[in-house]
Formats: sequence, C-alpha cells, structure tokens
Amino acid sequence: MNIEVRCFATLGKFAPTDGALALPEGTDVAGAMAALGVPPDEVKIIFVNGKAVGPQTALRDGDRLGLFPAVGGG
Amino acid sequence: MDGAGSARLAALIRAAAREERLPDGDAVPALADRDIPAIARQVGVSPWEAADAALVMGVIPARYLRNLGAFGSEGQRRLHRASAALVGLGGLGGLALESLARLGVGRLLAADHDVFEDSNCNRQILATAQTAGIPKAAAAAERVCLVNPLVRLQAKQEQLDRQGMDSLLADADVALDCLGGLAGRSDLAVAARSAGIPLVTAAVAGWSGYVAVVMPGFPDPSALMGSGPAAEDSLGTQPPAIYTAAAIMAGEAARLLGQGECSLAGRMLLFDLLRQTWDTITLA
Repeated sequence: MNIEVRCFATLGKFAPTDGALALPEGTDVAGAMAALGVPPDEVKIIFVNGKAVGPQTALRDGDRLGLFPAVGGG
Repeated sequence: MDGAGSARLAALIRAAAREERLPDGDAVPALADRDIPAIARQVGVSPWEAADAALVMGVIPARYLRNLGAFGSEGQRRLHRASAALVGLGGLGGLALESLARLGVGRLLAADHDVFEDSNCNRQILATAQTAGIPKAAAAAERVCLVNPLVRLQAKQEQLDRQGMDSLLADADVALDCLGGLAGRSDLAVAARSAGIPLVTAAVAGWSGYVAVVMPGFPDPSALMGSGPAAEDSLGTQPPAIYTAAAIMAGEAARLLGQGECSLAGRMLLFDLLRQTWDTITLA
C-alpha cells in the first residue's frame, strides 16, 4: 500500500522525497515511523486523515500521515 | 455620565458624523478619527466611551470602515465591547496585539516580563533599533496608543504564575497564548479552562507551526508537547511562520469576539510553509 507522509519542522529531514511511502499491508503508524527512521520520542502529534491518533493505529492505502514534533516558538 | 451628558455626547456625534461611501457604493455614517478624542474631551469621557456611543448610534469610526465587510456595524460594536487577554508580547503577541488593536477590540489585557534584545528584531514587530533593553509591555502600550487611541490596553511587565494568569483572564472574553517556548503554556490552558473562555494558541519553529482554538473542556495541544527540547531550538523562529500564525490567531480571536464563532474551535491547524501543506486536525 502507498501512503502520503507529512513531516513537520525538525522531522522534515525524514520525509520521503515526493511525500509518498510504500509499506506492506497492515503496517501501523509505528511501523511507518520505523521505515522512515523517525525517532518515536521526537514525535508529539501523529495524525491520520485529519484526526490525531496513537502509534498503534493501522494504516490503509491512501492514508495521509502527519508527524509533528515539539514546537513552542513565538 | 448623566442623561444630559449622554444627550450632549449624542448631539456632538450626530453633528460630526459624515456620510462615507464604501467602494461598493454603500453609504455609512462615519466619524473622522480626529473628531472622536475632541468630542470625548468636550464631554469629559474617554475616547473609548465616545466611540462606544457612536457605535451604539450606528455611526462608525472611519478607521473601522474597512472592517465592516467582515464584521458589520453590530460586530464592530461587539469587538469594541470585548476584552482579549494576551500572554506574551514577543513575536506572536506583538503581531496579534497589532491586529486586534486595528480591528478595534476595545479592551486589550497583556503581560510579558521580558525586555527586548537584539535577537528579537528579526520577527517581533514591537522590537526596533531603539528598543534594546526596553520592556515589551511598555513598547506595547506605546504602540497601541499610536495605532488606535479608541481601544484601551493594560500591559503588565510581569511573569505570570497560575494566579497571575487567573487574574489576567478574569475579565477577558478570550485568551491568546503568545508565549515563546513550551513553559507556561499548559498552565495558561488550565487558567483559560477554569475561566471558562476559549484559548487561541499557536507556536512555530522554522517554516512550520500550529494554531489551535481550545474551547473550554477540549484538549490542549501544548499538553502533548512535553517540556523537553523543542524544534525552534535548532530551526529558530522567522517572520513567515510567525506572521502566518499570528494573523490566524488574531482572525480567530476576532471572529470569536465579533461573531461568536470561529473555524478552528476545537481543532488545530498545522502548517508547513516550506512544502505549503495545511492540515486541520481534531485532537482526540
């Protein structure tokens, strides 16, 4: 299956070049993060298709996954 | 003010009102900016009170004519009678304050303990080549006086603890979290919840940022951020993301105050100006 990935701020360096990631069927968010090499403790907000979720959420073909780190600047 | 004073104020407003034509052809009775403090002085009231009397009569201070398309005269009157509390007067706070003052939010309450340093000048609208070492609260007071004498600002040079936040928020209709860094944000969310008012919150790092409107009882994004290092430690904070976040904050706050609703209520916008992605999410 293929998903779309958005990595924000310091996580941008882990984003796939064209934002697309191919994963085996049944992979969850934690598996996608491992495939991208994203350290789990750097991710503070995970969203899939506009809803905040946890790392054990199963992904489906066409999902849009977002990974957001700690951000506090003003 | 007694009945005779009110009648005199109304008569002075009626005499000074001029019909202004909006670009679409609509005619609106309006008061020139210079007439409002003059009328206020003659009757012995504040410029805010004179503007309030005018708005009640449907006479619009001319400085608000371009607001009417979004808020209408009724919304403008609501903004004039509303209070917004801003915690932090740095990058986000300076810009949000500027927008809210120009929109005509009639009472602005703000707090920042800090003084300006050179590194603020890349993004903070209140920071200039002359402000190093000057308290941000003092610069805010001076700026609001210059920008819009019809609104009232109380700016404290104070680092707010929970109790200080409670006291700042006690008279506010909306709170804006304009803090820099992660510290204090969760306390402010708790204070807003206990005051029963919406909290408009934002943070940025590099090209990314978020804006959320936390309605009382809804989850607060800062609670998810922890208290460790944050992305801005390495990415810094630059004007594009700061201006974006502050503009959206001010818009959402003004909509809550002037229209009683806003788009991000209970939701969070995450943006990335490098890739131009905009995601609105709901927190569980």
